[in-house]
Amino acid sequence: MQARAQDAVAAIPWGDCLVPPGTAAPDLIAEIRRTHGGLVPEWAARFAPVPWLVRTMSEMTSLPFTHLSLHDTSLIALVVSRDNSCRFCYGTQRALMRILGHEVDAIERLERDELVDPDPAGQLVLDFARKVSRGIPRPGAPEWDALERTGRSSEATAEITISAAFTVFANRASTLVALPPSPIERTTYQVAGRLLRPFLVRLVRFRGRQLPPMLRNDGVGAGVVAALGTLPAAGVLRRAIDAALASPVLPRRTKLLMLAVIARSLTCRRTELDARTALEAERMAADDVAQTLDHLGSPALDAREARLVPFARETVRCQPAEIQERLRALASELGLSREELLEVVGTSALANTLCRASVVLEQC
Amino acid sequence: MLTWVVLGAAVILAAVALRARRRAAVAGERLEASARALEALQAAFARFAPAQVVEDIIAEGMSTRSEAKDITVLFADLQGFTALTERLEPGRLVAVLNGYFEAMSRAISAHRGHLSKFLGDGLLALFGALEHDPWQAHDAVRAALAMRQALAEYNATLARDGMAPLAVGIGIHRGPVVAGVIGTAGLVEYGVVGQTVNLASRVEGLTRVHGVDILVTEAVRSALDHRFRLRPLPAVEVKGVPGPVATFAVEGCDDADGGR
Repeated sequence: MQARAQDAVAAIPWGDCLVPPGTAAPDLIAEIRRTHGGLVPEWAARFAPVPWLVRTMSEMTSLPFTHLSLHDTSLIALVVSRDNSCRFCYGTQRALMRILGHEVDAIERLERDELVDPDPAGQLVLDFARKVSRGIPRPGAPEWDALERTGRSSEATAEITISAAFTVFANRASTLVALPPSPIERTTYQVAGRLLRPFLVRLVRFRGRQLPPMLRNDGVGAGVVAALGTLPAAGVLRRAIDAALASPVLPRRTKLLMLAVIARSLTCRRTELDARTALEAERMAADDVAQTLDHLGSPALDAREARLVPFARETVRCQPAEIQERLRALASELGLSREELLEVVGTSALANTLCRASVVLEQC
Repeated sequence: MLTWVVLGAAVILAAVALRARRRAAVAGERLEASARALEALQAAFARFAPAQVVEDIIAEGMSTRSEAKDITVLFADLQGFTALTERLEPGRLVAVLNGYFEAMSRAISAHRGHLSKFLGDGLLALFGALEHDPWQAHDAVRAALAMRQALAEYNATLARDGMAPLAVGIGIHRGPVVAGVIGTAGLVEYGVVGQTVNLASRVEGLTRVHGVDILVTEAVRSALDHRFRLRPLPAVEVKGVPGPVATFAVEGCDDADGGR
């Protein structure tokens, strides 16, 4: 049974992790421990050199949804992670579902049903989530209305969108650095894991933490954040965007260019416009921005930007082993430090998330 | 006596239950294997048609979805291959052709192109047909440059076997097409139709007229930037197109791999 369950996950081609574990600042560790009910996930040490990446990964993977059940969000995370071939997230999500009481057979049945024997209402949720994750074509009014006809409120549908988009963040961040399988995968098959299940269930269900209030909402992504209204996801997204752009590791302009390219690739006009406006505020000429977006290059780019801009495009749709190899080669060619590599990863993941989350703009 | 009967019945019931459980497990495993095979099939099909078309076919057995879209079309044709067919024995001829197609196919897919079909010794590749691609003209021209490079390498291997080099003509045009599943119940394919496809084919024919290997139209040129080195050629009348067609020979690109 264990071997069969692990086959599905192990079949995903996956390279060696690009970043070794590091030492996180004690206050960051304490914060993550509070968020995750006392445990510190293994990825926190690997992402530690870029604190905003650790916080964003933490908040996006443990968001307290107000209109969706844990069952809903678990299934969305499972389906989206599988669709994105994220070996780390898919394996972890399967393990979390086992902790929540699903047997391997039941998880496989859920995946099978999602493919061949759909429950209409549940299928609509998963179809919607998958479309958000794939990005193009974007789910529109017909899909949104169909969900509402099954009794889902517009807030619930917005949370389905966000649940899928935040899973994309975890998928991209984990895939780009090739996070090694989480120890929790093995634990669920071991006797100790079974004995600890009541404790683990409490951890998985833990959503008791207070999110800090959102003080202001302007700049890149403001429209998407505003469309989320009072949902907890709004503050998470706002904090992530602000922290990413304020981080001193890579130039703000480089990150905005990567964001704009990913927005163009996913036809997210609002995010592209936000990025263009912010780039002009960075004193990049509008013609140079336009040229970069039309041609994935411009004489106005520096040597690193000239390579990172086309790379950003590749993160929109990618095969894990290939993109990991690409990033490894790029990091070597550009001489990226560990911090810089992680910020490239985080920026790409966040841009992919924001452009997918912007589906809420069309309906809210 | 009654005890034996009850015990016997219990043993039989247990055996039946055990057998049923085993059968259910086997059926479950087969179902699981089928679901995985279906998923693998879905992934494989995604290389031949857009994801939505694949989902239509899996759900309903057929897709009636068709759409107008702007794509970039690349036609490539081996030049002088007919003469080669008369000189080579059939087995060798097919091996040479397959080696050529393999090299071209890799160059096209490395630049996000979709190899739509082989046409004798020619091929048709599409950019922006299966997935939205705002940089489809760049991708198509970079693919053509990669094909030029791949052919040079392939010719080197042919030369080691004492064979003459192959030459290819490539025509690229961009414009609107209608895309969808086309064919009969017995034979269908995801394809594109429209004047854009015809003109790309005609432009490929013009490579012989101008004596160059890669030609693009104005519609493609206008989507390229300064990194692509192009040489304008005299406009020429082509069959089925009103007015002369201006083309540009692609000489190279300062960043041929596009940052890859």
